[in-house]
Amino acid sequence: MRIVLLFFVLAPIGLPATCFLTVAGLGGEPDYEQRFAAWAKEIENTLRASRAEARLENLTGPAATREALRAAFERLAQECGARDDLVVMLIGHGTFDGFEYKFNLPGPDVTAAELAGLLDKVPAQRQLVVNMTSASGASLAPLSRPGRIVITATKSGTEKNATVFARYWAEALRDPSADTDKNEAITALEAFRYAQRKTAEFYEAQKRIATEHPLLDDTGQGEGARAPSAEEKQGRLAANFTLLRFGAAQAAARDPEKRKLLARKEQLEQEIDRLKYEKAAMPLEEYRRRLTALLVELARTQEALEK
Amino acid sequence: MKRKLRSLARLVGKYLPAAVLLQLTMAAQTLEECRRLQHRGRLAEASRCFERLTAAADPYLRAEGFWGLGRYQEASSQFAAAVERSPKNALYRVRWGRLFLDRTQRQDAAELFQEALKLEPNHAGALLGLALVASDGFERRAIELAEKALAADPKLAEARVLLARLALEDGDEQKAIEEADKALAIDPECLEAMAVRATVDWLADREDTPWIGRILKINPVYGEAYATAAHFFVLNRRYEEGVRFYRKALELNPKLHKARAELGVNLMRLGLDEEARWHLEYCYHNGEKYASVVNPLRLLDSYKNFETFTTGQIILRLHKYDAELLRPYFQAELERAIRTYERKYRMRLERPVRVEAYPDHEDFAVRTLGMPGLGALGVTFGYVVAMDSPNARKPGEFHWASTLWHEMSHVFVLAATKHRAPRWFTEGLAVYEETAVAPDWGDRMTPEVIRAIRDKRLLPVTQLDRGFVRPSYPGQVVVSYFQAGRLCAFIAETWGFDKLLEMMQGFAARKGTPEVIEQTLGLKPEELDRQFLGWLEARTRRTVEGFDQWRKGMERLAASARAGRHEEVLREGPALRDLYPDYVEHGSAYEYLAEAHLAKGDKAAAIAELERYSRTGGRNPQLIKKLAALLEEAGRRREAAEALERLLNIYPRDEELQRKLGALWLAEGNASKAIRAYRSLLALRPLDRAASHFYLAQAYRAANRLEEAREQVLLALEAAPGYRPAQKLLLELNPESR
Repeated sequence: MRIVLLFFVLAPIGLPATCFLTVAGLGGEPDYEQRFAAWAKEIENTLRASRAEARLENLTGPAATREALRAAFERLAQECGARDDLVVMLIGHGTFDGFEYKFNLPGPDVTAAELAGLLDKVPAQRQLVVNMTSASGASLAPLSRPGRIVITATKSGTEKNATVFARYWAEALRDPSADTDKNEAITALEAFRYAQRKTAEFYEAQKRIATEHPLLDDTGQGEGARAPSAEEKQGRLAANFTLLRFGAAQAAARDPEKRKLLARKEQLEQEIDRLKYEKAAMPLEEYRRRLTALLVELARTQEALEK
Repeated sequence: MKRKLRSLARLVGKYLPAAVLLQLTMAAQTLEECRRLQHRGRLAEASRCFERLTAAADPYLRAEGFWGLGRYQEASSQFAAAVERSPKNALYRVRWGRLFLDRTQRQDAAELFQEALKLEPNHAGALLGLALVASDGFERRAIELAEKALAADPKLAEARVLLARLALEDGDEQKAIEEADKALAIDPECLEAMAVRATVDWLADREDTPWIGRILKINPVYGEAYATAAHFFVLNRRYEEGVRFYRKALELNPKLHKARAELGVNLMRLGLDEEARWHLEYCYHNGEKYASVVNPLRLLDSYKNFETFTTGQIILRLHKYDAELLRPYFQAELERAIRTYERKYRMRLERPVRVEAYPDHEDFAVRTLGMPGLGALGVTFGYVVAMDSPNARKPGEFHWASTLWHEMSHVFVLAATKHRAPRWFTEGLAVYEETAVAPDWGDRMTPEVIRAIRDKRLLPVTQLDRGFVRPSYPGQVVVSYFQAGRLCAFIAETWGFDKLLEMMQGFAARKGTPEVIEQTLGLKPEELDRQFLGWLEARTRRTVEGFDQWRKGMERLAASARAGRHEEVLREGPALRDLYPDYVEHGSAYEYLAEAHLAKGDKAAAIAELERYSRTGGRNPQLIKKLAALLEEAGRRREAAEALERLLNIYPRDEELQRKLGALWLAEGNASKAIRAYRSLLALRPLDRAASHFYLAQAYRAANRLEEAREQVLLALEAAPGYRPAQKLLLELNPESR
């Protein structure tokens, strides 16, 4: 049994903080208990190393009861402000009886509707819920709302086999190759794509039929997409939701002098992303001109950050 | 026959009203009449006869009527009704089973034959049915079951015909003739037996066989005779002649749908897809919707997902999923194999070879057999090779390059001998060639081979083909491959490789195995067997005699490794490894020893152990990557890269492998190999495309291919605008922009 409240550093005024809650639910068998706890621990270690300023809380093993979960959310509701980001990661088994999704915990389980209620009490406007359990696809619709990114390991409640998505989600947070835009920060969308890809490769290499197909929804529609893109109208919020930074970006985040530059850099990156989403709707020449301008400014900002 | 029917009528007459009895007797006579018309090839009259039968009062006769008309569903329903009405009638179940067998539903057929045997334990028809099911699956017990059927009914000509066919499948022409003649003694008009006799002649290139004349005199449209021959030509890998005979069968009787389906499958084997599709679709639209028609049609449809590349002597068909990655590797190996074999076999191929690689093993199986479930890795049909792509198997299970060279050896040997070489020779030479390319290629001696040597279960060379076609114990096919490969190695080692070429010429001249051995090696086959066994035993004695000791020792070793008792592993491991050095599968002594060395901090010893593992043919990608990592850590970068290069022939679909190889070769100054690795990496559509384009840009820059380097760095920045190393490289490649 373990509840760890690692750090809570108040974010400097004007910059949002991030509150993380990781829950490893009931394993049922020693093998799963160990596996779930190990993945939760791996996530905790990665975040502790790169997000020292963030609020991190883990619930694992027998301590991860429904009551403990409710208490954790009450604390989050107190401590996580409207401008802060909230990240909730659920690891373990889930069930779906055709009507209701349940996250399996020691003692009574918690339903998707209950989870949604708990999340709604946290004032954070931008939220990310990563439900990595079996049958988690059934929780997508109940958890969805505008401003909340919901990632599930399975596409529906009928994918009931134990999942491996959590293993690769944990890996995404520590593997620099997940940072596909090379901005030294891993966003929710990058981590999703990484874990999704690795999960698919796992089944392919094992020559097993894939029994989990992850989804991402960040429009609040509760539909989810397997390949979030502009065409799918999914992924914009997730692309701008930074989970962690490393390298110079991490150092810059800790240096108050450079936070302004960092904020400008992130703003430019968001503008470039927006431009890419609009690419299809504008003449190619104009796209190139605007992209070049943004890239030049981005390069200069990065140079300044490196000084 | 009429007398028999009258006695039957007398017997049942006590129990049935006279009108029903009369109807039954008339109907029974009609069934015999229908069959007689069919036998004589009077097909239109036979059809009318069967049509009348469908109106019979007896559901059994109606079933036979519908079956005769090719209305299989209705026939099956009527058989079901007959069985329901007369649950104790074994014959009805047997005939129903034969219908299922006709429709390639072997499992359903076998169940009905078994049910019939429960009713009548000695029912000859049921025993024959089971023999036919076993024969379809090339099971050895087919012979035993056919003999049991004959014991139950010595006049069962069909069982004799089956024994004749089985003998011919085993290459025993004499026995095939004897059994066919016995069938003809029972029934002088037995067309199937005559077809076997004709086939024996055709296989021996006696085109003027008298048997086909006799057959056609009885039944002028008996295309089945040609279909029988076609079956045996295909079995002997003489596909083009097989196709020719299937065509003749259909010329005589276009309604032989099974022959047409076989023609379709064999046309596919020869790469004639369009004509194959036409025949298969014809079958499908005529109600032939069983798996061996539907599966190939589905596969033909899926060819839209394949790409074909033609260069010189090579036509390469790869799935779009694989094409970009595999093409350079396959192309290079094919060119190397063709060059090597042309030199070794002193011949040139007459036309291009077509090689197809399937990322889904079941597609490969359908391509090969028309049905899923094939255990092989590759199959050669003359100038067409079909095989698994590396992605069809779990990483480490399959050495695709070894398989490719194996199949390419077949292409040459089959071309040189016009498909006349026996199976033991073509397979043996191909297995020999695999390890001739590199000692770590090819298959290792497996435990089942050791048991076969220990239990003296290796076959004499004159019977070795039987081990491939009709194995008599599980694993005999694997054992036969091993034996044939070692036999060719023995011949090459003792008399020189040229003797194998002479043997090839002997087979091309249509000589049999005993004659070829005597003429080429100057000794009797029995003497070759004796010398070979002595040679083999000398090389395997230690492993064979110590096998039980090794097995028990490995159990202890695994337990020690699991418990972390490294000293014990290091003490016991080397002797166990050397007792059976070929064992490189999961849980090998090499693996435990390397782990123990690492646990003790002795990296140099771990490297040595893993190098030994790799040299011996170990293929576990994780272990080879571990070896490469240790070598790199020890500053032996070139050797690390060379260790990883082996994996390209095993499982190239690995981002980590390609990325690492690229980095190692780039650091070693081998830009061209780095470019190949990074191009492969990009072919895998990596998640981290920006970095992959950037690495390739670096490799191009190292190769002084600056234009390609610029293109790649731009692609990197488009994917990741803030990618500093790429920005710096871009400025470096465009000095005017500074």
